This record gives sequence, structure tokens and C-alpha cells, in this order.
Amino acid sequence: MSDLATRISDWDARYAGWARTQNVFDRIFRVGTGFFAVLVLVILGGVIVALIDGALPALRHFGWTFVTSESWNPVTENFGARAPIYGTLVTSLIAMLIGIPISFGIAIFITELCPPWLKRPVGVAIELLAGIPSIIYGIWGLFVFAPYLQSTLQPLLIDTLGEIPGIGKLFAGPPLGIGILTAGLILGIMVLPFITSIMRDVFETVPPMLKESAYGIGCTTWEVVWNVVLPYTRIGVVGGIMLGLGRALGETMAVTFVIGNAYKIQGSLLAPGTTISAALANEFTEAVGDLYLSSLIALGFILFVITLIVLALAKFMLIRLERRTGT
Amino acid sequence: MKSDSPVPAVDRRSRDDARPVPVAPVRPSVAAAVPAPSAIVAPAPTAKIEIKDLRFYYKTYLALKGITLPLYDKHVTAFIGPSGCGKSTLLRALNRIYELYPNQRAEGAVVVDGQNILDPKQDVNLLRARIGMVFQKPTPFPMSIYDNIAFGIRLYERLPQGELDGRVEQALRRAALWDEVKDKLMQSGLGLSGGQQQRLCIARAIALKPEVLLLDEPASALDPISTLRIEELISELKSDYCIVIVTHNMQQAARVSDFTAFMYLGELVEFDQTSVIFTNPKKKHTEDYVTGRFG
Repeated sequence: MSDLATRISDWDARYAGWARTQNVFDRIFRVGTGFFAVLVLVILGGVIVALIDGALPALRHFGWTFVTSESWNPVTENFGARAPIYGTLVTSLIAMLIGIPISFGIAIFITELCPPWLKRPVGVAIELLAGIPSIIYGIWGLFVFAPYLQSTLQPLLIDTLGEIPGIGKLFAGPPLGIGILTAGLILGIMVLPFITSIMRDVFETVPPMLKESAYGIGCTTWEVVWNVVLPYTRIGVVGGIMLGLGRALGETMAVTFVIGNAYKIQGSLLAPGTTISAALANEFTEAVGDLYLSSLIALGFILFVITLIVLALAKFMLIRLERRTGT
Repeated sequence: MKSDSPVPAVDRRSRDDARPVPVAPVRPSVAAAVPAPSAIVAPAPTAKIEIKDLRFYYKTYLALKGITLPLYDKHVTAFIGPSGCGKSTLLRALNRIYELYPNQRAEGAVVVDGQNILDPKQDVNLLRARIGMVFQKPTPFPMSIYDNIAFGIRLYERLPQGELDGRVEQALRRAALWDEVKDKLMQSGLGLSGGQQQRLCIARAIALKPEVLLLDEPASALDPISTLRIEELISELKSDYCIVIVTHNMQQAARVSDFTAFMYLGELVEFDQTSVIFTNPKKKHTEDYVTGRFG
């Protein structure tokens, strides 16, 4: 055997064990991470199965009327989900109508216009806002915000927008303080920090040179933001909005405090209503009787489906956007 | 690459030569504060831009220490110098793009057609429409090829669709890109190759019919073929514009420019015709740099 060959075989022998250990570790790592990933699917599947299983008695008993019926009567055991579904969708819509433009404005200000010394304080304030527990928002909403609305904003709305034929119906009725509009406003405040911080993060990923070249052909700040920054970051922006919407749809405590918990669809936004999660929080402990409990679980299942549809729509929208711009 | 460059390739004179004997000046040297171009270019070029005692600060750091320099219309002027010498800073002062950043400011004067553009009263957006800029890396906007060009035009002019189409085509033709993209105008500009993207950016700049074109190392991120195309494009465009190019590549400066300014540590060391700078510079420092002895 040549000298070199001996050396190589020595070397092989010396490191063979070591290499084998490395291989084993690598395999453990691969299996381990794979296991965690599969775990997510299993949990999700488990939740779906449990929801369907729990909801089945109610869905079988009421059929489609469960979705279309507005009555919610534990005494006669006659349950319908229309009012909570309506409340969930409308409060989330109000929250988005308020949250998205304000978040967009804040994020643009922080990334494009803010003097450097103000950047950190505003950023920290946003993060703190995100950290406030929802029960605090609920208490604040009930004891501070709702009375304030009752005495100022709501009378104003009733006197102005309420007088307009058509949309006036949305702002009719007595100013109660609590109600759908109040819940929507609170939700808007709650989703604000989430949408803002994601928008800010994605806006900061825009290469300075790209912005410079837009300014370089004479764009104003608005034109740069609208035509360059926003298209460049649209996936992140939609993601942020979806995160906020997800939170608004599922938010429980704060909404329960201020929405009034009435199983009734009134035309007015000032009237009390309820949402799916508020209904669950209020009634789960009192649910006696299988049909009652099952109806509540069915509500949860519907919320799950709504969230799923929203996510699917967002994905679909992004795909269409991409096809249009051809990226 | 190109052997028929306008000036002889930089000859790296042997280093053993003790101080190279200065070649007898062919033309009388003008040692004024503003070095006038030697009189070989006829007719005498007119200065489109006069930079006068320009000082530039990053916070308190003085990055340009009083630059005085003319930039001639319908000619290409190259800024060369080692990294950090202030050549890009100088370029960025010419369209006031530095104003996007707090802590950066310029003093002195940049006079374009008799107007000091550093004057705060000067509308910066209109200024930037007159002075186009192309950056180191291609920066197509996240929109279709067509819109990349049309976007800038729409900022300033309301044109009927047909006329707009014409302007877009014209800009793409001038940037030597039309034939490659005419069948996919509605596709994203991000799908083009690096060289094509850079030509798209040049087309975007010239679509606004600017008077001055600022190029900040426009070919540094490109392969040799694309670089060649950009250089050809520059030679073609100079009949209409005042072109200023910052480059690290001295061969490139020698190939494309008519005038060259050599800068070092925030100062203008020498400014003259490119052929003079590369073959018969007046300052030792310039010669050392262009012959690769330092820098």
C-alpha cells in the first residue's frame, strides 16, 4: 500500500465514528423538525374534528335555519346564528374601515416622514398598544369610551348622518353608548398596532435606491408611497391586514363588554348586538342541555369557517393582483 | 472589449521609471481655478451646469470641500476617484436627492442655465424632471414595463393614450430596449435581465425629456455585454443631453467621457479633457491614480 493510501485509510478510520455520529444527529434533527411541522396539522385537524363533532347535533336539528334564523331562545331551545354572524362581520368591517387607513398613515409617517428622534417613541407606543390585554380595552370601553360616545359622538351622528335618507337608518335610535358601533371602534383601536407594526416593517424593506429613483423622477412623497412602496410591499401589507382582521373577528372580551349582547339585528349601528365570540363567552357556562351546548359549538365552527373564507379570499386577491402586474 | 476607444488605453508605464518625464504639453495648460477645457473640441462647449464652491456636509463631516466645476452640454463628463472621494456625493447634489435624508446639506451654488438649483425656492420635483438620474443597481418600479415609463410621464403631462404610447415607444427605442420588450410591454419590469432593467431605468429617465442625465456607476452591477450596451447608449445619448457619469472603472471613463474630473478626499484634483487626464495629466496625483499606482 502506498504511503498516501495508508494515510487516507488511517484518516478514514479515525474520523469514521465521528462522521457516523454527525449523520445520526442530522437525522434526528430532520425527524424532529418534521414532527413539529406535522404536529401543527394534527392540532388543526383535531380542532376541526372536535368542532364538527360538537356542532353536529345542532346543525342536524336546525339544518340551514341555524344560519338564517335570528332567534336565540335558550328556554324554548330555539337557536339561530344570524345575529351573531351579522354582529361579527359588521364590527370587524367597522374595525377595518377605521384601522386600515389610520395604520397606513402611521406606518407611512414613521418610515417616510418622521424626524429620526420621534421614530422610536412612536414605535414603542405602538408596541405598547399591542401589549394591552383585551380585558383592559373592555373595561376602558365600558366605563370611559362608551359614556363618552353616548354624550358626544352618537348624538352628533344621529343629528347629522341620521337625518340623511337611506344611510340615516344606520345611525338611528337612541344613543346608548354601547352597541355595534362602539364595539367596532374599540376593535379598530385594538387592531391598529398589529396592522401598523407589520406595515412599518414591510415598508422598511423597500430598498432606499428604489425610493430614490422614484423621487429622482420628481415624485412627491404620496406618489412614491402609492405607486412604488405599496405595490412593492403588497403581500406584506395584505398579510398585516389579514392578521388584524383575524384578531377583529375573534376578539372576545373587549367586544363582550361594549356590544350590549342582544340577539337581534337592528338596522342601526348604534343599537346593541352580539358577536359569535361574545355569545360564546357569555353563555358557555350557562349552557344546560345538549342542544344549547351544541349550538354554541356550532357558532364556534361558523367563526372558524368565516376566518377560513377570509384567508382564502385574501390569497385569491393576491394571486389576481400578481397576475395583473405580471410578477 | 472595445479596442477603438476614443483615447489610447491607459498605458501602465513601467514603475521602474523614476518620475516619468513629463511629456511636453501639447497645448498650453490653463491653471485657472476653473480649468477651461483645452481648445481641441470645436466648437467650444457651453457649460450646462456650473458648480461653484460646493461644500457638502454629512451632519458635521465635510464631504466636499469646495468644488468648482463646469459640466458641458452635449458632452459626457466622468467623475473618477477612489471610494469615498465624494464623486457620488457630488452627483447627488446635482438633483438634490440628498434632501431625502436629514443631516445632509449642501452649501455653495449649482447653477443650471443661470439658476441656482440649491436655492430653497427652486421646486425640487420640477428640478428632478429636468435632471434625470440612473442608479448603481437597476431599480425598475414594481409595475409593468409600459407603466415604468408611462408613470413618470403621467406625473407631468396629461396625454391622450396614443400619444403616451408613442412617448413610451420612443423612450424605449432611444434606450435600445424596444426590440427586446415590444411584445411584452404589459409584463412586469422586474422580469427583465439586469442589463435590460438598467436600460429600462435609462428609458424611464429620458422619457421625461430631461436636460441632464446623471449616471451613478450605471454599469457596476452588470455583465460585460450589458456594460458595453450601456456605454454605447451613453455615446448615443450625448448628442442631446449633458451627461454626468460616476465610475470606478477607469477604462470606462476613458471610453465614454469627453471630460474627466479626478477627485480625492472631497477635493477636485484635476479636471480636463479625458484624453488629457489619461495621457498627459498635469498633476502627479492624477497620473498615479489613472495609471493604477494608487487608489
